[in-house]
Amino acid sequence: MASFATACRLSARLASRRVAQDASVRGLRTSAASRAAQNFTMPALSPTMTEGNIATWKVKEGDEFAAGDVLLEIETDKASMDVEAQDDGIMMKIFAADGSKAVQVGTRIGVLAEPGDDISSLEIPADESKSAQQGAKKEEAPSQSGAPSEAAPQKKAADSSKRKTSGQKAPPQKYPLYPSVEHLVKEHKLDEAALSEITPTGPQGRLLKGDVLAYLGSITESRPADIKKRFDHNSHLDLSNIKIAAPAAPPKAQKAAAPEAPVPEDLLVVLPISLASVIETQKKIEASLGTFLPLSTFVARAAEVANDELPLPSNYKPSANELFNQVLGLDKVDPKVSRGLYIPQITAVPPTSFTGVAPKPKPSKVDIIDLLSGSPKKSAKPAAQSLGQPGISAGTNTFSLKVPKSEEKRAQVFLARLKTVLEQDPGRLVL
Amino acid sequence: MMASRLIPRTAVRSGFRTQSSLPTVTTSPLSRWRRGYASQAEEKDLVIIGGGVAGYVAAIKAGQEGLKVACIEKRGALGGTCLNVGCIPSKSLLNNSHLYHQILHDTKNRGIEVGDVKLNLKDMMKAKDTSVTGLTKGIEFLFKKNGVEYIKGTGSFANEHEVKVALTDGGETSVRGKNILIATGSEATPFPGLEIDEKRVITSTGALSLDKVPEKMIVIGGGIIGLEMGSVWSRLGAKVTVVEFLNQIGGPGMDTEIAKQAQKLLKKQGMEFKLGTKVVSGESSGELVKLEVDSAKGGKPETLEADVVLVAIGRRPYTAGLGLENAGLEVDDRGRVVIDSEYRTKASHIRCIGDVTFGPMLAHKAEEEAVAAIEYIKKGYGHVNYGVIPSVMYTHPEVAWVGQNEQELKDKKIPYKIGTFPFSANSRAKTNLDTDGMVKMLADPETDRLLGCHIIGPNAGEMIAEATLALEYGASTEDIARTCHAHPTLAEAFKEAAMATYSKAIHF
Repeated sequence: MASFATACRLSARLASRRVAQDASVRGLRTSAASRAAQNFTMPALSPTMTEGNIATWKVKEGDEFAAGDVLLEIETDKASMDVEAQDDGIMMKIFAADGSKAVQVGTRIGVLAEPGDDISSLEIPADESKSAQQGAKKEEAPSQSGAPSEAAPQKKAADSSKRKTSGQKAPPQKYPLYPSVEHLVKEHKLDEAALSEITPTGPQGRLLKGDVLAYLGSITESRPADIKKRFDHNSHLDLSNIKIAAPAAPPKAQKAAAPEAPVPEDLLVVLPISLASVIETQKKIEASLGTFLPLSTFVARAAEVANDELPLPSNYKPSANELFNQVLGLDKVDPKVSRGLYIPQITAVPPTSFTGVAPKPKPSKVDIIDLLSGSPKKSAKPAAQSLGQPGISAGTNTFSLKVPKSEEKRAQVFLARLKTVLEQDPGRLVL
Repeated sequence: MMASRLIPRTAVRSGFRTQSSLPTVTTSPLSRWRRGYASQAEEKDLVIIGGGVAGYVAAIKAGQEGLKVACIEKRGALGGTCLNVGCIPSKSLLNNSHLYHQILHDTKNRGIEVGDVKLNLKDMMKAKDTSVTGLTKGIEFLFKKNGVEYIKGTGSFANEHEVKVALTDGGETSVRGKNILIATGSEATPFPGLEIDEKRVITSTGALSLDKVPEKMIVIGGGIIGLEMGSVWSRLGAKVTVVEFLNQIGGPGMDTEIAKQAQKLLKKQGMEFKLGTKVVSGESSGELVKLEVDSAKGGKPETLEADVVLVAIGRRPYTAGLGLENAGLEVDDRGRVVIDSEYRTKASHIRCIGDVTFGPMLAHKAEEEAVAAIEYIKKGYGHVNYGVIPSVMYTHPEVAWVGQNEQELKDKKIPYKIGTFPFSANSRAKTNLDTDGMVKMLADPETDRLLGCHIIGPNAGEMIAEATLALEYGASTEDIARTCHAHPTLAEAFKEAAMATYSKAIHF
């Protein structure tokens, strides 16, 4: 648990560092020094995270914060995590208020200013995440959507040839110029117009040293094209001296038509389990040893036992390690089972149930699970805390598990075991 | 605290494990790990015959592209010649024999005193086998990971859509494929008149697992395989003589100047060379294997004797038992399966890649083709740049090249300029006390575009990657020279050679 939290924190820190980097890159591009405000976007706290909810902001607009301060708390379906500030700064503006749901990663959620900035005079930068997203939707080349259109003095090399060609042949150079080309361009003070007139003969239309030399007239003009022809020829297998079968239509690219992974559907697996025997044991122990053991201890330990060696979910994908063990033949030892992480939900069943000698259930809505661990679903390990007796029926209780459909069998086995353990000799759980 | 909480629980758990009243977990066998041998002729998107470098790469790539793919391999281990009896085991022996040789002969001037140095050939072979097993198992793992069905057996065409497989474990099955890929590879070309027994008359396969170091060894063929295996056994103590029909070692692609230098250096290590010499006949019935050789230019005939003769005169496509005729496929006069530029055979759904068809017989070429072939099947376009395929000879020093060599350019009357840089002027080589060799670059005299690069020297095989990248991108030698190289590294020699080509080297 502790390590998981650390991992979360780590990734949060990483993410915010990425945010900071993003921002600093952007800061470079926005030339004016006065516009030091940076967009703060929804960080990805795990590699798979795509969206999250903003639980609470720990800073208000206008608050100063120092590196390491918690800025806000983000909730995902898995956990809730704090996002720490990577640098000192001021929270200038918050766009996504407390409780914002399903905020996409990368969406602007606030604007940060440098420490000491006068936030009243600062300009709020444009929401680049939005425009970038739109750009991505239109499926533009990523290099184009990211690059500012006009003012980018530091990208002189690539941009110098970016202008539309006046001639007919040369496509604009999308890549940085080769060192030799750049050198010639500087040496001969070629401008963009001149560059765009040069016919590139390199792979994928790249401009080569020879192309520039030919343009400058220092070598034979046709030379680069001749070499290109030779290279093109060499790049193919020489199949000229054999009889080639009549070309048939290329086999149609088969659509793999991989069916979309079905949306995992949650399933409620329910089993009534009587706690009568547990309570009897509890009383016995209290009478003989003088120790009161809360019911939760029994349930937690029973779950611990029942979680052992559960059948794998039907859609189980073996890990790389397991695959490798299979190759090495080491899997024969280990049956196809794994340890589960289930924690059952328990609800009392009205005493009308036929299961014998149920004393009066104490009516209560407290869910034991909320007491066991803050999580309503699965958690790494049920913590066996010493609890008072929550409102659980001493008779039959409904133990339920909410699981993906693929884990139905696994959950059933878990509950069946839980029943066995709790109903027959629960004393072994604690003694 | 954590521990104290855990211990009793563990005890509880183990207490219950012995209790039989616990509901038993039904371990349903995961059917997808079972190979469906029983099914007859199930149809796959792609059936690959051969699990060598071409076949296994294609299988994995196809799996990644979402094709239903089966790969048939008869060896019992994936990876083909390369992994099992080629590139990989030979590199293990080359590396370890080099270490041994160096400890024997090259420690004193480095300030290292060693006592008795002994060779344990059995353990050296074991080290080799460990490397090989690890890698072949690794491929099996990748097959599982990418959902490739691995069929252990010998495949042959039943008809043009169906491949019969004689299973290694006995029995027979067959698979149908919408597409079929032939990747059966190559085998060593035997020498007429000498029967290969892999004990005394051996191919590269036998040379990788001799049980003792032969006193005298003759290598027929001075190409890369012959020189590498000759190096191994020469380092381990055999007296090795290389007989080569051509006037140059290293095979046709190696630059003449580099080949001469390599020959000189290998000779210094104790190997003998008979170039321009033809083996007329061989006789292996006696105690020693006898070879009648003749100078190719009509000199006096001679008889050579050796304990072991390594036949390394090349490799030929392997299609025996494949039943090509059942699918109506053709081969050319050298046994290569005829393909078009998209690797299609006469039947357009059957493609063929790797050693069994045209082009240089190199693992990395096969690998490129595998990816390209799958892309043709899946996307309708793939590409391999055959002009930029590097070659490496892993002797010491290594020899590596890419692009065209000087002789080729001369023959085709293509103008060129040369720049060279010797490792003796390179600081890192100097500190390593390993200064044999040089970097040689060939470029167009006018445009300065790199045409070829030839390296002999320490780590040439790694360094050639830079030249390959430069060629692929159409770089000029000035581009290379203007790229920063770390100091002190051997790669600086590469940069200096580029400088020497377009202007002048600094350190020479």
